[in-house]
Order: sequence, then structure tokens, then C-alpha cells
Amino acid sequence: EQDRLLPIANVGRIMKQILPPSAKISKEAKETMQECASEFIGFVTGEASHKCHKEKRKTVNGDDVCWALSNLGFDDYSDSLKRYLIRYRDAEGERANQNKAAGGGGGSGGGGDRDDEVDAPPLPFSFNLMDKRRN
Amino acid sequence: MRQPGAYSKLLSGGVSGKTGPHSLPLARIKKIMKKSSEDVKMISGEAPIVFSKACELFVEELTKRAWLITLQGKRRTMQKDDVASAVITTDIFDFLVNLVVEDRNNSTAAVAANKLG
Repeated sequence: EQDRLLPIANVGRIMKQILPPSAKISKEAKETMQECASEFIGFVTGEASHKCHKEKRKTVNGDDVCWALSNLGFDDYSDSLKRYLIRYRDAEGERANQNKAAGGGGGSGGGGDRDDEVDAPPLPFSFNLMDKRRN
Repeated sequence: MRQPGAYSKLLSGGVSGKTGPHSLPLARIKKIMKKSSEDVKMISGEAPIVFSKACELFVEELTKRAWLITLQGKRRTMQKDDVASAVITTDIFDFLVNLVVEDRNNSTAAVAANKLG
């Protein structure tokens, strides 16, 4: 049931890129990393979701995830991610402005409450570049 | 019209710089988030994006720590137990201990976990 795990190719690639070129990684090590990454997502999401619940908000947003990371001891990630989020929002803002300037409609509507069925707003790059779908 | 400048700011090196804006599939991340708890109802568009970066950082950190253990064993191939040992010896990875130690009677990881017990 692969839906609950991140793709092993992507996980393996991240591992490989942080290690020296001569390093080898066993398949089991990659599989263990897949499991750990999913557990990490669940763990942090649970914390973020709990906060939203207490504050009577329905939508878990990027700031909630950053907060949860910090709360769970992942401070280093939290700082790096806050900067990432700011740059992402800037880029989204620029894109929305370009859309307006071009007289086009559409646009992503930014963050905030989002319909459950809607995926992340479309990005200029195809972020599925490295995502080998297996359906 | 695509403006390359808008997104190149995000590609600040590291894995993201090489593989494009996100190295992990956002739809999959979203699925995993939703499965994690019944409380999770709605997820903003940004949350999976933040997680794609966070997971990258997480995998990088756990990998580096596991690699140190591989090297201590004078090996060049990272094994599952190296990852397990890295989990056990890192406080913030406590939430993973039960995941990596299946067999508490055997394996070096289980022995280490028992010692820290």
C-alpha cells in the first residue's frame, strides 16, 4: 500500500545527494527512510492539526507546520522553512501580479482556507518533473 | 508568460536547486498528512510545499547521522541498522524508535535501544 509512503526513488535521491559519491545505500535502508519520512509527516501534522483544532481553525497552513516543527524540536528546519515560505509567497505574489498585468483571470487565491479537493496552486515549473507516477 | 526570475529565488542550492522546485510529490504528501489523523480536515496549498522541504531536511539529517555509523563500522554501504541506530541516538527522533526497532531480541539496533531503554 504505497500511498502512505513517499516514493523510494525520490527518497533515495535525497539520501544519495547528501552523501559522498562513493557511498552506497542498501535497499532496506532506503525503505526504512521512507517509513521514517512518512512517520515524520504524520507526527508533525498531528501537532499542527491539534493547534488548529484548539484555535478553532479548519485549515492547516504553512505557518502551522512551521510552528509544529519548532515545537517538536526541529528548530533548525523551522528557521530555514520560514524563509522558504516567505520566498514562496513572494513568488506567488509576483505570479499573481503578472497574471493581473496580462489581463488574465485565474490566479491562485493565495493561502488561507482552501477547498479540500483543490491541490497546491499551479506553479510556473512543472513540479512533477521528478515525480514518476505509479498508478 | 513564464518569468524565470520569480522562481529562481527558491532554487537556493541543495537538493531543491538541482531537481526543481520540489523534490517530493505534493499530492502524496497531502495524502499522508490526511491519513495521519481524523482531525485533519483541510490543508492549505502551502502546507505540502513546506513539508516537501521539511522532509528533505529530515531525510538529509537522518542520512548524515546514519552515515557516521556506517563509517564507524568501516563500511561503505549504509544498512537499515545504521538508520535505526541514528534514530535511537538522536533525541528529536524519539518518535521513530518504535518504528525502527521491530525485534527487540535481535539486531544491533534493538540491543542499543535496550541499553538506552
